[in-house]
Amino acid sequence: MKTGVPFREGLFQGSDEKGSLLGARCRQCGQIIFPRREACLNCLGNDLELIQLSRKGKLYSYTIVHMPSEHFEPPYAVGWIELPEGVKIFSQIRGWQERPLETGMDMALHFEKLWDEEEKEVVGYVFRPSTNGGA
Amino acid sequence: MKKVAVVGVGETKFSGPQDMTEVELFAEAAMEAITESNLKPKDIKALFVGNALGDFAEGQGMVQSLAAENIGCLYVPATRYEGACASASMAIRDACMWVASGYYDIVLAGGVERAATMGTGLATRTFAMFSDSRYEYPAGITFPAVFAMLTHLYADTYKIPLQKLREQMARVSIQSYKHGSVNPRAQFYGKNADMTVEKVLGSFVVSTPLTLHDCCPFSDGAAAVVLASEEVASKLTGKPVYVTGTGQSSCGPLGNQSDYLPRIRAREISSQRAYEMAGVKPQDIDLCELHDCFSIASLIAAESLGFFDYGTAGEAWEKGEADIGGKTAVNPSGGLKSKGHPIGATGAGQVYEVVRQLRGEVEPERQVPDAKIGMTDTLGGDGGTLVNMIFERGW
Ligand SMILES: [Zn+2]
Repeated sequence: MKTGVPFREGLFQGSDEKGSLLGARCRQCGQIIFPRREACLNCLGNDLELIQLSRKGKLYSYTIVHMPSEHFEPPYAVGWIELPEGVKIFSQIRGWQERPLETGMDMALHFEKLWDEEEKEVVGYVFRPSTNGGA
Repeated sequence: MKKVAVVGVGETKFSGPQDMTEVELFAEAAMEAITESNLKPKDIKALFVGNALGDFAEGQGMVQSLAAENIGCLYVPATRYEGACASASMAIRDACMWVASGYYDIVLAGGVERAATMGTGLATRTFAMFSDSRYEYPAGITFPAVFAMLTHLYADTYKIPLQKLREQMARVSIQSYKHGSVNPRAQFYGKNADMTVEKVLGSFVVSTPLTLHDCCPFSDGAAAVVLASEEVASKLTGKPVYVTGTGQSSCGPLGNQSDYLPRIRAREISSQRAYEMAGVKPQDIDLCELHDCFSIASLIAAESLGFFDYGTAGEAWEKGEADIGGKTAVNPSGGLKSKGHPIGATGAGQVYEVVRQLRGEVEPERQVPDAKIGMTDTLGGDGGTLVNMIFERGW
């Protein structure tokens, strides 16, 4: 079995039901951002603390892509998910064939294989329509 | 600051894949602009060249330096600008500043690209480089996907049924095809003049709800302009076109502007600077060449630029208010949709069109009558770079 590696370090931790996206909270104004940056986009302060973001949110916008891209065969879905913290996450969306996508629907975070490379499989976060209510 | 005038413009035909190199394409546009200015290459003090993907398209880096040599502008500074689809507009805006400062009196600025020659596969992959490679690209982002998501957001925000919005968007493509079909430099010259709403909606789906006819093509092409100080311009031409206002804004990936979407905040800031500098208002603009990479992008741009109220641009297109003879003539060249989108040259192509419109020199079917003030609007990446420029007749 291939080893799973995250597509990028520092964006999320864990890869099971306890995994989460890593954002930052500005200690000066409370703004929450994803991914982490050196400075707060709201007040430009640079005292930020690492936080784990909610695993549930609502679908803010989406599209089904019908053209191939480097790693994904069409059709596949992408969208923005708005978390209760107010931050919007751009992510691939899965499970849309079973549950037609609709703006505002409840979505849940999952960690899944994004694509295969020779010696490893590249793992990342995706969102899926959630079955038991959102945040 | 000194007043800056456009004294000459040049452009190749915008096209699908073709065999000329970027150096050769740029030379064709540049020589047309220099000759039209009644100048010789030796008069040019500096070059400013937009080019986004030449390294990938033909394995040619440093195109600006080779282009300078190729047209006989020897030993002058030549600088390349990269801001995705806004590259040439950045080059022209900076070139303006050098003339306005008084440091140079005559410069050449423009851009070149061979996006069509790359083929859809390489073009799609390299265009995606203008999204955020840290987390947007690995999730499968594409530019059609970005504007497709904005389409849903636009429908939700302004409470327009998606089907109704799609019909309004089709009107945008139809208007662009109409003007491009009579523009000999346009990629779709002589084509698609008979486009219908049904054909647009029925063409193949690129990224829901966008179809092929909602999307601009990949294009090859180059365009260039000669800029000069007021003093020099008065000796060269009786029809100087002054650059009276410019603005530029950066904003990383579109997610950064997500509190404003579907509005593009970077565009509102950029255009506001240009309006303030020129001392004019949106209703003073007779024509605007704006960044219609997708039909929805036209609606969003026309609203952010202040031509129409938020949520009403689709209606404006339906009523002909964005057409020649309406409130503001949008994209009489055919725009990116029909004239074409050689990304590193696109902004210079917009300036080419605006200048010739103000001089009253385009084909009668697409001439904006008595146009006095024109504007350009160029967007790079997914809203990460915005450039706006305002031009006025100097006679
Ligand atoms: Zn802050």
